[in-house]
Amino acid sequence: MRKVAYYKGCLASLSAKELDSATQALAPKVGLELIELESVTCCGAGDIHEAEPDYYLHLNARILSYAAAEGVDTLLTVCNVCTLNLRQANFMLLGDTELRARVNENLVAVGVPAYEKDVDVRHLLWEIAEGEGYELLKVAAHKGLKGLKIAPFYGCQILRPSKIQGFEDPDRPWSLERIIEACGGEPVDYPAKIKCCGFPIIQAREETALGELIQPIEQAYEAGADAIVTPCPLCHLSLDAWQSKLKKTTGRDFKMPILHLSQLVGVAAGLAESELKFKRHVVSVKPVLEKLEA
Amino acid sequence: MTMQVGLKVWRFNSRTGERELQEFEIAAPEEATLLDCLDIVKDQHDGTLAYRKSCRMMICGSCGMRMDGAAVLACKMRMYDIAQAGHVPVISAMGNLPIVKDLVVDMDPFWEKFNSVNPYLQPGYEEPPDGKENLITQERMNVIHKEALCINCGCCVSECNAMEADPLFTGPQALAKAMRFVGDPRDGQKLARLEKLNGEHGIWECTRCYFCTERCPKGVDPRDAIAKLGAESMKEGIDRDMGAKHAKWFVTSARTTGWLRETELVPKTQGVVAAIKQTRFALDLALKGKVPPPFPPHVAKDVKESRRLYDLVRDQGRDGYAGIVQGERALGRLSHGHGVGDQTLEEIYDRPGAYHRPFIADEEADA
Repeated sequence: MRKVAYYKGCLASLSAKELDSATQALAPKVGLELIELESVTCCGAGDIHEAEPDYYLHLNARILSYAAAEGVDTLLTVCNVCTLNLRQANFMLLGDTELRARVNENLVAVGVPAYEKDVDVRHLLWEIAEGEGYELLKVAAHKGLKGLKIAPFYGCQILRPSKIQGFEDPDRPWSLERIIEACGGEPVDYPAKIKCCGFPIIQAREETALGELIQPIEQAYEAGADAIVTPCPLCHLSLDAWQSKLKKTTGRDFKMPILHLSQLVGVAAGLAESELKFKRHVVSVKPVLEKLEA
Repeated sequence: MTMQVGLKVWRFNSRTGERELQEFEIAAPEEATLLDCLDIVKDQHDGTLAYRKSCRMMICGSCGMRMDGAAVLACKMRMYDIAQAGHVPVISAMGNLPIVKDLVVDMDPFWEKFNSVNPYLQPGYEEPPDGKENLITQERMNVIHKEALCINCGCCVSECNAMEADPLFTGPQALAKAMRFVGDPRDGQKLARLEKLNGEHGIWECTRCYFCTERCPKGVDPRDAIAKLGAESMKEGIDRDMGAKHAKWFVTSARTTGWLRETELVPKTQGVVAAIKQTRFALDLALKGKVPPPFPPHVAKDVKESRRLYDLVRDQGRDGYAGIVQGERALGRLSHGHGVGDQTLEEIYDRPGAYHRPFIADEEADA
């Protein structure tokens, strides 16, 4: 069992609690012991980076510092946006000793330990797509997905900018497909799988956002997918909750179930509904579960 | 030494609407770029192929096009590894711009947006009192160093997801160019520029897909430039846009409870009246627990530290774009990463159903 610091972020703490419970239940099966960070805040979701960038850097440095204080070398995330914000701040600090010294001085001034020992920020997706996590996943996913057709949806910020994320080729990603296959599912391919779900502007520019959101849903639907899986709770919220708005703009009701990565693997690993919490989804996941039982 | 290069090129005639995927097999020097290969095609195989080129050295910005669906400068793209892997890439015109013929796009909409940000210095800065030269420090120039590298090739615009959904979006190239002048100490119209950039199709329509940053062949990082414009607008008190209010609510949340106060985000962004119009939608979400009650607030442990950090750093002069510029030195050292994990490249390419050409859906459907 490898100890990692676990940063669940805003959504998994509140509106996407199902992601947190599924992740907590899944972690030991893939060799991870999660140490949940308590004294941490929002990463800023790119919004604080754009509003108060210096504050953004300090907030994230504080999260990194508390992760390092747990004596681990990995900070585990379950959200694309948290991953990018934390990794970006981390690279800013690791690559500039002057900047790191200034930020550390500020942290200490407000009672936070200085960020001294480096940690690496990694998404759960990366932990289970290769290496030991992947080997354990193959064993854990014994119940399988019985040939369910699953459309992987990466979203943006787990892939780009690749100079910060860098886990896989942002134009030919393979991690989700590999996991779907390991769980006994059949990955469905479609062009919009690496594009934007529209979430960052879904409140400020809804029409533009819906013009983006329709693409993955429509393409996955037409490719015959039983469900879409995503490693990001923001993509999940957009694809799941805003899907109903497409009815108004396009007249089409796709009813496409959207699964969090931890839930998809959780189903294959036989986790209970009390941990997967599918009842919290807006689009019903029932058809998928029924197909599995059939 | 020569190598064999295979290319599939999308031919298109805008007058007749005819399109055809044409395959070529050519012999090229091992150091050949995609542009060299196209030159060989045009010279030795098919003189009717149309594409733009000029300098052949990554500075004129003429030869932007898509390879396997991703915008590249043809003159920067070395073909050796691709040819060795036996891969035959699909070459097509850039996206988000009308195609004139084959690989040539109509750049007029691009230049219109470029011109809309007044891409030249406007007078109005303070002259040095003694009539001497107006010296600009390196530190001031660092603010716009990346943005000044733009060669107007359009690779960022080609892939912009927000522009696909709304063609009126000002877009990454024009906004990066705008930052180049907003951050220039010799420009006298900074506030007027920021006001305009906060318009309906301005900076707050960026969807943060980071395709622009990924594609730019010159390291301009337009998404970062847009964030700099946002930060500078907020510093100057230009925050009436819903996007700005949305961003500000994250700051307020981090300072007060530590976590995002999700339920209040909609009224804080859109205003109470617009939020009430969303009541029906919100109720559907509330039934599923997607609208967490604001009371009692979900407060992070030791959140006072986060509040004190805010108060402390706001007086340190790194607000606005300075807060982003301070990280560019470290981030500039990172190179693009294309990790393959514990698999080989062949395993990834050969995966059944692996999608090799992410962005040419329309063309593919016709093939």
